[in-house]
Amino acid sequence: MEAISLPPTSHVRRTSTRRHPLASSGPAPHPGTLVANVWRHRELLWHLTIRNLRCQYKQSVLGYGWILLNPAVQILTLTFLFSVVLRTPSNGVPFPLFLCVGLIPWMYFISAVMAATDSVSSAPNFVTTVYFPREILPVSAVLMRVVDMAAGLVVVFGVLLFYGYGVGWTAGWIPVLFLGQLALGLGLGLPLAALNLYFHDIRFLVGTALNVWFFLTPVMYPPEIVPEQYRFLVALNPNAWLLGAYRTALIDGTSPSAETLLWTAGTSFAVLAVGYWVFKRMEPGFADSI
Amino acid sequence: MPTASDEPAIRFEHVSKCYRRQEGRTLKEFVPAFVRGRGWASEFHALRDVSFSLQHGETLGIIGLNGSGKTTILRLIAGATAPSSGDVWVSGRVSALLELGTGFHPDLSGGENVFLNASILGMTNREIRNRFDHIVKFAGLEDFVHTPVKRYSSGMFLRLAFSIAIHSDPDILLLDEALAVGDLPFQRKCFERMLAFQRQGVTIVFVSHALEPVRGFCHRVLLLEAGRVVSEGRADAVVQEYCSTVDRPAADGKRA
Repeated sequence: MEAISLPPTSHVRRTSTRRHPLASSGPAPHPGTLVANVWRHRELLWHLTIRNLRCQYKQSVLGYGWILLNPAVQILTLTFLFSVVLRTPSNGVPFPLFLCVGLIPWMYFISAVMAATDSVSSAPNFVTTVYFPREILPVSAVLMRVVDMAAGLVVVFGVLLFYGYGVGWTAGWIPVLFLGQLALGLGLGLPLAALNLYFHDIRFLVGTALNVWFFLTPVMYPPEIVPEQYRFLVALNPNAWLLGAYRTALIDGTSPSAETLLWTAGTSFAVLAVGYWVFKRMEPGFADSI
Repeated sequence: MPTASDEPAIRFEHVSKCYRRQEGRTLKEFVPAFVRGRGWASEFHALRDVSFSLQHGETLGIIGLNGSGKTTILRLIAGATAPSSGDVWVSGRVSALLELGTGFHPDLSGGENVFLNASILGMTNREIRNRFDHIVKFAGLEDFVHTPVKRYSSGMFLRLAFSIAIHSDPDILLLDEALAVGDLPFQRKCFERMLAFQRQGVTIVFVSHALEPVRGFCHRVLLLEAGRVVSEGRADAVVQEYCSTVDRPAADGKRA
């Protein structure tokens, strides 16, 4: 073969030489970097998210029906338990309505954190062979769950109409509140995804912690029945604020207070900033520890 | 006129890569070891002080025993893993065909996997749509576009992966033992395509245990031994040297 002589070059792009993407010791990563990276890789993000969605529901008989069935069954079961058996008060609101407005966002939160935790460790092929900013994986996991949330909201609207509450303009707060939830879930999911590569039992710890968090958050009971000396647990809990805000906007038909909005925005953003920083600091080791 | 093209396509400057061999992978194992003050991981050097550079349009072969660090070099070029010390510089779009079927999802169809895999390699949706038919045709999988990849044979798997990699318009193409699985006609087709790439000025890094293609195809060859470059030069000479070290019993690879 005539391979020895150097061939003339023609079409090759002369992009500027770049240093190894994982070797940079540049400025500390911040949420702006996150947004820029996600935007630059939006097409990859789309394909990954679609892939995960297809795979999750492809093999089941009901297919995408599960997205609706799952929350509906949960709501019915918990309604029976709490309103029929335990007779939990719900601030004069029909209990199923009170429950589902809190439960649907909460279910999103759990599934987003769990999916993000597994997102990097479940993609060893990508991580060991090609480079793209690894945050695309947890972001994709968190976005994939948006479908569940949207389906859940359909259930919520159905229950609202069923009890004659209607859907007012304050429902417009939902995207805002959801953005806060997304940031909070991602902010926790990012460092957990990184740690999960080093300690494979993190995910069990996460499951347990989320369970505890669930019972400490007023999802199935109104915050008012928490005894005075434990109220601080509610006050410090960003999810309690968020769920409260969903209830204000959807059931009471009033806008969440400025205090609520500032507090949830502040904590969600802070958690996201710290979580992302940790994730990026650990990123260079991912391929070696997966 | 000094332009960016004077820059090499790939430059390694004193690159070392050290892996930690983790003994415990769970908190349950880590915490007791940590409390007792025992080290948690032992280190192992996959590459030691490797320096080389590769001009645009050159084809470099890398040979050596299993565990000598060949794949680590490819991973470093691809940017998947970071050097422990030293610097890696890369200029141009890298397309990698590393382990077989990297990034294929078994439940998705071949066509769906083309989109996912190509976008991981950095292609835009538009590029993928434009080349989709070529990709499928080159792989010879026109009748299996809608079949889940888990039903593919290993040859079909390879053909699709290879076809995506070469249609991604790479400046630098990384090939790791890629062609071992394909049948003879497909191997021929691939070599023709790689010769065309060479004529176009694509930089190719080729890792293989099949010495014949290395000799015929590469402008230069690196010989690795236990993470060090022991020889570098024209293909004939380095392949010759490799054969003679293997025959020497003292050079037996100690590490898997």
